Amino acid sequence: MIQILRTTETEEYRILRGTAADYAARVLAPVAEELDAPTGTPFLESMNKASELGVLRAFVAEESGGGGLDDYAFCVALEEMAVESAGAATALLIHNAALLPAIAASGAPELEAVMGAAFPMSLAYPGQVSLAGGKVSGQVPMAFNAPAASMFTVLARSTEGIAVAMVEPGSEGVEITPNEHQMGLRAARCGSLHLTAVEPLAIIQADNEMVESLERLLHLGFAAISAGIARKAFTTAHAYASERYQGGDIIVHHQALRLMMAEMVSGIEMSRAMIKSACEEGGLAPALACRIEATDRALRSATDGVQVHGGYGYMEDYGMERLMRDASWCQIYPRPNQESLLTLLDLVEG
Amino acid sequence: MFDDMLGTAMSERGKQLLKDFPALQVLHKHDRKGVNGMIKVAEDCEEYNRRYAEPMALEIDERIGRDHDYFNWDIVKAGCQYRFLSLAIPEGVGGIAGKYIVTNMALAVHELCSTCGGIGLIFGAHTLGVSPLITAGAMAHWDTVLHEIAEEEKKGNPVLMAYAITEPSAGTDVEDPEFLAKGKIGMEARRTKGGYVINGRKCFISNGREAKYLTLTAALDRNRPLETWTTFLIENGMPGYSTPRVERKMGQRASHATELLFEDVFVPDSHVLGYPGDGMVNGILMVMGASRGPVGAIATGIATGAYNHFMAWAKTRRNGHAPIDEERIRMAAADMHAMLCANRNLFINHALVADASFGKVLAHPLVNSTYLTPRAIRTSKPMYKLLNSMAGKAFINTLLGLFISDEEITHILALASMAKFHCADNAMKITSKALELMGADDSEDRRWVEKCFRDAKLCQIYEGTNQLNRLCLYDTEISKELTVEIPRPFRAPLKVEVN
Ligand SMILES: Cc1cc2nc3c(=O)[nH]c(=O)nc-3n(C[C@H](O)[C@H](O)[C@H](O)COP(=O)(O)OP(=O)(O)OC[C@H]3O[C@@H](n4cnc5c(N)ncnc54)[C@H](O)[C@@H]3O)c2cc1C
Repeated sequence: MIQILRTTETEEYRILRGTAADYAARVLAPVAEELDAPTGTPFLESMNKASELGVLRAFVAEESGGGGLDDYAFCVALEEMAVESAGAATALLIHNAALLPAIAASGAPELEAVMGAAFPMSLAYPGQVSLAGGKVSGQVPMAFNAPAASMFTVLARSTEGIAVAMVEPGSEGVEITPNEHQMGLRAARCGSLHLTAVEPLAIIQADNEMVESLERLLHLGFAAISAGIARKAFTTAHAYASERYQGGDIIVHHQALRLMMAEMVSGIEMSRAMIKSACEEGGLAPALACRIEATDRALRSATDGVQVHGGYGYMEDYGMERLMRDASWCQIYPRPNQESLLTLLDLVEG
Repeated sequence: MFDDMLGTAMSERGKQLLKDFPALQVLHKHDRKGVNGMIKVAEDCEEYNRRYAEPMALEIDERIGRDHDYFNWDIVKAGCQYRFLSLAIPEGVGGIAGKYIVTNMALAVHELCSTCGGIGLIFGAHTLGVSPLITAGAMAHWDTVLHEIAEEEKKGNPVLMAYAITEPSAGTDVEDPEFLAKGKIGMEARRTKGGYVINGRKCFISNGREAKYLTLTAALDRNRPLETWTTFLIENGMPGYSTPRVERKMGQRASHATELLFEDVFVPDSHVLGYPGDGMVNGILMVMGASRGPVGAIATGIATGAYNHFMAWAKTRRNGHAPIDEERIRMAAADMHAMLCANRNLFINHALVADASFGKVLAHPLVNSTYLTPRAIRTSKPMYKLLNSMAGKAFINTLLGLFISDEEITHILALASMAKFHCADNAMKITSKALELMGADDSEDRRWVEKCFRDAKLCQIYEGTNQLNRLCLYDTEISKELTVEIPRPFRAPLKVEVN
């Protein structure tokens, strides 16, 4: 396999990258196809082993039993996992995003159960939910991890502004409809959520800053997952092209394909550089910009990855078409890329 | 302005068709009957979509996603009443193909695929299977195979064909003469007494498992694939022939892609289409010249379906807001609309030019007069023997050469390849953009567009990848390095070793 890992990462990140890559290859790769099952709730048992990496509670301090990771470390882990299963990486991203509000409100005793919730938690956002008289009502059309969720982090509007309601799936008034037609990222199976006067386990007062940090994490996360998808597309396509003979030569020598693969490399380089700088910069705008670019490039890489494989790429057995379906789904959550572009300009305008 | 001179009003579908295809609007002034036939095809397909495809398409796609061996025959049977299996079968033997054979085919798959690419492919791949019987002028089999398909269809029994050229080790290589010459070919048809013995595999063959008949191209000598490339007619049920597996496809699932296995399959001389050694031209380049344009039509149909669902989504008001209220969505709609328009022009241009040649042959009095002789004589043993003899084939090749020039067929191939890759690329642009704009939406419209996105990708791959088709356009039309030479009669017979 050819080397495209030229980063100036420090020792700490490099070690994490190695461990995460090893985990992905050992644990995720063998079940990647199962995790992508077209219907039903994915069996995410293998993800519990990810706790060794500290990614199940990535942003909980180490002394409290978490991973104590910073944004970039988390992105590194996500990217490596997404190489084998973008869906599993998404399940993990959503789980950690769902934990963020509870971490921010740290120490509150009623949040103990939340902090200890099993993987995966689901993030019910964005949606139309309101909080009144201590009860939440409303609906969320698409929540990742919903059918398997141990807990829902529901963003709701209240008279005092934004509130986060922690809701248990078994509570009265909670109705979850799994999305049985999900095209991509199926390991993080979506569901729509209907809440009718549900009494939450806990309520966390929130503000715009919290919503922003949540969105930022989602953007960075999907950028990292997309980089993983693009890397898988590139390495698999290149390996295949180096063996396939057609048109009088191994096809890696045909310029038509060399151009495609070169663009994959430039896309990966760009995405990674942007992820790194967005993590270092902080703020929503760089994360948003990086997410838009990385997801768009990933879809192109995946589509071309299928093309390099010819007819074989179109078949489920080669895993290339899954990359296309997953990449397309990375472009849309929490909001579609084009809408995000306009938000980006708004942010820059201040 | 579209109303018939006699005062009979044209249907809404007809008016729309002439708007969608300006070339047909002009043609309508000169050949009303011909264009009315096209309108009829579009109307039939629309009715079929409404009655059968629309209610079933998502379900069939999903069912095959779970159980890829599943095939829905009902949806094929339902097409019989509209004669979808006879679109390329000459009228003389009971079909409905006339002077607009390619145009009608393109319009049919375009319309069918606007609801379901997979269902459209069943009928498209069938016609692809029929094509070599036409391009090789294999009239001996028109009265048998093609007649059977047409007659059974009238009774509601679908008899499917398939077209098999791709091998596991040669996909792009079988689509181009220069590449085939260097290709690593696996299948071989060895000369034996009274025919050939075929061994090897073909892969990704649409309708492969369901087809009763298939047209196949193979080398008589694997070390000289181009020189010895030959077109055969294969019957499902020939000893040694089997279809070991169907693929698990990303999209266009209603039609199976199948692996075909040949283990010492004996094929009699009567089942060689055209001369031995003419396979690259009569089995591939001439077929592709007719069919790649319709693949552009398939891509355009799929993209049109995506566009329609995208627009339905855009106009749906949720919480007082409809996406179309936003300028950016209207801009995107305009872009998609323009791409679809360009696509339609590309594939209809090819189809009409192709019909100026192919259609001319099929509608020629000489060909038609053949069918004035009673069927009993046409299907008699001596006649079958004559048509299958070298002299008979030489006669047909002579006729073909009189009707169509090498330049014509080369130009047709160029237009076909151009329509194919450009339409397919636009279809990917349209479907992926629509999904991105629609975002995380749990509507039925999004589900349709997701299917269109998966279906569209195949159009960049089959009938020669888009890379191959670009090379083909360059070679035929830009550099003029490649000229399709219609097989010449009365040549020294091809020498191959006899086992
Ligand atoms: C669903 C499906 C249905 C199909 N149906 C049929 C059917 O009914 N009948 C049939 O015969 N076939 C069928 N095919 C086969 C199809 O036509 C081939 O897949 C296609 O021609 C590509 O061949 P390949 O898959 O071997 O890819 P390859 O030829 O191996 O190509 C791999 C990659 O290399 C590129 N490449 C190859 N050579 C060159 C070159 N010289 N220069 C630049 N780039 C090059 C290609 O563009 C492609 O990107 C079907 C395929 C699929 C997927």
